[in-house]
Amino acid sequence: MKKNLIKILLPVTLSLFMLNACKKNDVAPPTPGPVALAPAVGEYVLSEGVFGNNNTKLSYHDNTANTTVGDFFLQQNPTITAGLGDTGNDMIIYGSKIYVVVNNSSVVMVLNANNATFIKKILFQNGTAPKGPRYAAAARGKVFVTSSDNTVSVIDTTSLTIVNSIAVGANPEGIAASANYLYVANSGGYNLIPDSTVSLIDLNTLTEIRKIKVGVNPNKIEINAAGNVYVSAYGNFTNIPASVSVINGSTNATGINLGSGFNYSHIRILGDIAYLYNNYGGTGTAKVYNTATNTIVRNEFITDGTPVNTAYGINIDELNGDVYIANAPSYTASGSVICFTSGGVKKFSFSVAPGINPNKILFRR
Amino acid sequence: MHLLNTNFFIFFFAASLPAVCTAQKKDTLQTVIVLSARKTINIAASPAPVQVLYKEDIDRRNSLSVADAVKYFAGISVKDYGGIGGLKTVSVRSLGANHTGVMYDGLVLGDAQGGQTDLGKFSLDNLQEIQLYNEGPSNLLSPARAFSFSSVLSLKTTSSNFKESEKKLVAITLKKGSFGYFSPAIYLKTHIGKKFKIGLNAFLQNANGHYPFLSYENNHLSEKRNNTDINAYRLEYDAAYGANDSNSLNLKIYYSASDRGLPGAIILYNSISNQRLKDDNFFIQSTRQKYFSLKSSILISGKFSRDNNYYTDPAYPNNYGKLENYFHQQEIYLSGVYKYSLNKFIGLSYGSDVYRSKLNRSDIFAVGFANPVRNNYLNNIAFQLKKPRYETFGNILYTALNEKVSAGKPGRNLREFSTAFSGSVKPFNVLPIRIRGFYKHVFRAPTFNDLYYTNIGNVNLRPEFADQYNLGITFNSNNSSFFSRCIFTLDGYINNVRDKIIAVPRQNLFQWSMQNIGKASIHGADAALHLALPANVIQLSSDFSYSFQQASDVTDKTSDLYKTQLPYTPKHSGSINLNAAYKKAVLSYNILMSGERYRAGSATPENIVQGWSSNDISMSYLLGNKVAQYKIVAEANNIFNTQYEVIRYYPMPRFNYRLSVTASIKK
Repeated sequence: MKKNLIKILLPVTLSLFMLNACKKNDVAPPTPGPVALAPAVGEYVLSEGVFGNNNTKLSYHDNTANTTVGDFFLQQNPTITAGLGDTGNDMIIYGSKIYVVVNNSSVVMVLNANNATFIKKILFQNGTAPKGPRYAAAARGKVFVTSSDNTVSVIDTTSLTIVNSIAVGANPEGIAASANYLYVANSGGYNLIPDSTVSLIDLNTLTEIRKIKVGVNPNKIEINAAGNVYVSAYGNFTNIPASVSVINGSTNATGINLGSGFNYSHIRILGDIAYLYNNYGGTGTAKVYNTATNTIVRNEFITDGTPVNTAYGINIDELNGDVYIANAPSYTASGSVICFTSGGVKKFSFSVAPGINPNKILFRR
Repeated sequence: MHLLNTNFFIFFFAASLPAVCTAQKKDTLQTVIVLSARKTINIAASPAPVQVLYKEDIDRRNSLSVADAVKYFAGISVKDYGGIGGLKTVSVRSLGANHTGVMYDGLVLGDAQGGQTDLGKFSLDNLQEIQLYNEGPSNLLSPARAFSFSSVLSLKTTSSNFKESEKKLVAITLKKGSFGYFSPAIYLKTHIGKKFKIGLNAFLQNANGHYPFLSYENNHLSEKRNNTDINAYRLEYDAAYGANDSNSLNLKIYYSASDRGLPGAIILYNSISNQRLKDDNFFIQSTRQKYFSLKSSILISGKFSRDNNYYTDPAYPNNYGKLENYFHQQEIYLSGVYKYSLNKFIGLSYGSDVYRSKLNRSDIFAVGFANPVRNNYLNNIAFQLKKPRYETFGNILYTALNEKVSAGKPGRNLREFSTAFSGSVKPFNVLPIRIRGFYKHVFRAPTFNDLYYTNIGNVNLRPEFADQYNLGITFNSNNSSFFSRCIFTLDGYINNVRDKIIAVPRQNLFQWSMQNIGKASIHGADAALHLALPANVIQLSSDFSYSFQQASDVTDKTSDLYKTQLPYTPKHSGSINLNAAYKKAVLSYNILMSGERYRAGSATPENIVQGWSSNDISMSYLLGNKVAQYKIVAEANNIFNTQYEVIRYYPMPRFNYRLSVTASIKK
């Protein structure tokens, strides 16, 4: 347990220093040097709801009182009764703000990271056509959002406007930022034949350098402590299974498929440890994989038999390595979040009702 | 809608129609408005529940399509996505839309692709009768296929009905309403010689459908429904040859086409919708009915139908910049029924139906589509015992269904028995009360969409079964000092649905698969009251209906959806229709009510869709004489201007109006 903690803590603080350095000033250039993380006082949970039902919810769980407010957004913003919108796919905390990516409403809602009060609604439209934003990542004072219209939009975090648009491959999904690059998963998920590339984007010029071949229908992108890029892909849902590929972060050469035994469409990495999962039922919750030693830590993450219906999202507390699983019981019923130690032993859980299909957990410190 | 309504709105008591409305004084010279309608079906005596709306009932219920009119039936929930062109499907007693068969002039409208008929597509202008059979047909001389549904909605057109009182008839209707609604219709009918009759009906409907609604963002009338336009027309040709009903040959040719926007749910901050649907439907059907003797008769029918539908999403983010689905459906249908009466009370019938359904897809996205062909063989034996004090009706249906595909694996071939049994007794000689009951066990085959829809379809599906148990009481009295007619029916029922075909997420929320895992347990009650007061200077009549439905999802004991109410099923719903007639004017007041429902998901306050009621008024006035007539109808709908939803985030129209004028000449 302690060993795990140390293993995780060290690279975490290193790899996340940039993110935390931006807390005080959104546009401040990162100053090197580790910043100590404060313990989480609570968790924000995004529930995407049911497509077409306008029921994206932001919940908040207070760690001290162990209480949860299911519709925290409404509590903090009582005049915005309409809510966050339809199908919130992603949210990130960057600097002092939360960016909630609401896909079907085609907006990014900007909230205060400290209390979730509404700051701004950024419309994602091409004329009257919705862009369909999907996932976000942040770097160098900018927030980058993939959209189904084959672009990555660049949001300036001071003006909170879209200042640039980067052309990428078809229907980009997951996005991750390294020190110099953005990696964007081109899913091509709306096409008859899905895409199988990652766009490599130069963070200096904000243009695509080239496309890197990975598995079919790439979905999520995570970067480990060594800077290598892990891409999980859906496959084509018929004869090509889900897969995980690794891109060497220094050469950015063609991704190397981890092969059978890694048929996972979703991935979350903290430090060297990757949690591989599928966001639908099936057997098992998540596989734990050490990306530094290329060894499987555990085929089943959970060690105490705690039941999970569907791991619809996984996030890890960067400070202590606790693993938070967003549990979606039936895709129409209210969800919950279960917190485990990195050893797979349940610590606590809370319901996010009326939130349905929780997919992302962020830590308030 | 009011095309030709004068013919049915008005009685000529000199004609051969039975004078059932005893309260009405006879008048052979003047046209007379009769509020309490002529009844072709004795609702109170039927062993299984039947509900009927006649032409004159429909005319007084502020309805635009069949979907609107059937909202007045007890036990029906209509999923109404709003607007003139919006999708409207019905679920009878919570069994689901796929369990209701729709018949048009005696033959089933086949839809092997989706199995759910959009009742918003059927206008009312040419309908004479809408019947809802909760169990199935009560006539021995019915095609086997009519027995294959949990419930049957039967639409009967005026065009197929040739009366001696209208040897030659021309009627023109013009209708204008809110949201750019305009609809002209023409109707011609003529008798050629003694035995040959033809009818022609043309109907056009046009609307932009842009109605304002209270914005979900700011609660102001700042938004209008978009992508709601519809352009539709219909042509119908009917011909009949024969001396009388017992020896007749009928032919019907039908064509309709529409082009419409598909307004989606109002999505917060992004309410523009672009999807469109074009469809056209053609069928030709012929029916030969012959009584060899009083004991022995036959009904032979044939039908060919062809339906195309073309769906497009011009904003789909693929490399073509659009999504298209182009489906073509064909059906050839042959039916024969023979009925033999042993004596005055006991009859038997044997019916055999064969039909072949075919679905093709021809768009560029149709990769590896199965192009299924299904051959259906139905054999049915029915019996009836009908005595004044008691009555039973039963049938056994054997269905064989074989499936072929051009690509991939076909769905299962099915062999199933279905049965139904109903009975009623009149326990007391003096009291006009009957006790009735029925049991029905029937299945619905997986639709082509269930089996073959790209990525979602599952060829391993089994049929979905529904069992219905009903117990009821009826009261029917035609003459008392208080009322000229009083019909009251009350039925309690239990329905069980198992192996229900539902969509289950497979890979993620965008990848679903059809599975036979659903189970529903439905306990309900339907009550209906028709009351007409004795004729006075002002005639009064009224209809009331009330439905209770406890429709529980019992699929998964461990789920928090277990024993919660099925989505969009109100526990309480009802309707009121009040009519007053003075000379040649009729005033009607209609109320539709629905209690709160849950949308899909847990039974949380968050998922409650508020109850609603809609209050409508219609007024009609008749001018002219027996030969040339004008009828003017004014309808005010949702007079309290309420904003309500039947389906969450599909706002319904607020106050709106319709005006229509019908001119008709007959000889």
